[in-house]
Amino acid sequence: MRGLLMTLAAPVLAAVALVAQAPTLTNSIGVDFVLIQPGSMIVGKFEPPVPKSADPRLEAMAKAAAQPGFPVTVTRAFYIGKYEVTQAQWKAVMKTNPAIFQGDRVTDDADRHPVENVTWDDAQAFIRRLNALEKTDVYRLPTEFEWEYAARAGEDADTPWAVIRERAVAGYNAFFSTQMVGSKKPNAWGLYDTQGNVWEWVQDFYNEKLFADPTPLRSGKVHVLKGGGFAADVKNAIPATHAAGPGSKFDVGFRIVRDVKP
Amino acid sequence: MNHRWWPGTIIATIIVASVSLGASAQVAGIPEGFTRIFNGKNADGWHWSRTVHHGTTAVAKVIDGVLTLEPHPYGQGGLLLTDKSYKDFELYLEARPDPGFNSGIFLRSTEGGSAYQIELVRPGNTGALLGEQLRITQPKYLGARTDINTVWKDGEWNSMRIRMVGQAPHLTLWINGTKMWEVETPTNDQIGGFYGGMIGLQLHWTSTYTAGAGGLSMGLPWLVQRFRNIAIKEIK
Repeated sequence: MRGLLMTLAAPVLAAVALVAQAPTLTNSIGVDFVLIQPGSMIVGKFEPPVPKSADPRLEAMAKAAAQPGFPVTVTRAFYIGKYEVTQAQWKAVMKTNPAIFQGDRVTDDADRHPVENVTWDDAQAFIRRLNALEKTDVYRLPTEFEWEYAARAGEDADTPWAVIRERAVAGYNAFFSTQMVGSKKPNAWGLYDTQGNVWEWVQDFYNEKLFADPTPLRSGKVHVLKGGGFAADVKNAIPATHAAGPGSKFDVGFRIVRDVKP
Repeated sequence: MNHRWWPGTIIATIIVASVSLGASAQVAGIPEGFTRIFNGKNADGWHWSRTVHHGTTAVAKVIDGVLTLEPHPYGQGGLLLTDKSYKDFELYLEARPDPGFNSGIFLRSTEGGSAYQIELVRPGNTGALLGEQLRITQPKYLGARTDINTVWKDGEWNSMRIRMVGQAPHLTLWINGTKMWEVETPTNDQIGGFYGGMIGLQLHWTSTYTAGAGGLSMGLPWLVQRFRNIAIKEIK
């Protein structure tokens, strides 16, 4: 009987855990967060298309290079920034502003542009100081898998280019500076600028491969960048892109995760 | 990558370069006063962009003193960049792309591949001045332009000499010793108003990761690009 009760109680408790967290929240410096629920996705799928009526060797080469990808499960809910960290938020925490696109390099409110020209170490310094400000330890960079899961928002296939253009501050010779965060359409889970505007640092080291390995590296020379910046193309401003630093500096920023405390 | 030039490396480079030059009499070789930026043995002093949309995992091989750039995996190109940045310079190199290969010489490039570009594709617009992730304000051509088809030799080594001077750059291109064009640009079009950047050798992508993006695919992924005798003279 007791076993049965536990069996019945488990999904109820899980459901309680899900609804107990607010779907969105805003922290002390105005960072808006969206709650991301656990789930699974396929990472690293590589099935390059070949043109119709092409040389028959193309299809054989494409098939030989294809990779099915591998499943990744995000086991814990987490909050992730609805937008990239802005210059105003950076200034509130760090009292400086390293961004290239401020002053006369922008025509609107630079405070609402993403901060850029920050290294991975700079992003970590911001996070340490934010945690100290709020006397907590909940803030951190997303892992690459958390970032990609949130950016995909349930989409397993690559986003069609027409949709990317609606969502992304990116595209061939389309943008030459950052734009204010949230200027394009969000993804299905309400996140803005996961594609384009600035490349975003994640926690992981880079493996010098097309995609992440199923088990992230414990050390490396540079860290992974995701999502593409304003000078990226629709080809690589996609959640699957596994890029790395240093990037062009003026299009490198980040968004933060806030852990869900039990 | 290791940037140091050991004496053994230099000697080997001279021997290789002499053999290479002997095999193709139509190119004049590195002009006097230029400094080699490709050592003929390995890709020291160069690195692949990790953020360019053409790809991040292409392969650079040095075969008989020739820098051979290959897409990898299927359809993924790349951008091989100098570790060093340059402002005003003359660049000399020799190129022998497979016909059909879409490539280019990037000038004042960012790490992510925003650059002035000299297009390099046959048949096609080889020698054209383009902006890659950069909008070039309409330049003013000084004098006549030469038809690329009168100077380019498909399947052979072709020399390219590019002079780029000034914050709003004044550019001149010579191919196989013939002046192709000379332009004045009215503004500096580099993103953020920066002045200077890396030299880049482009391998254009030919396929997306999956068909989901729309299935666009172009070019032939077994084609390669070849360069040799890459040298620069900085203009201070």
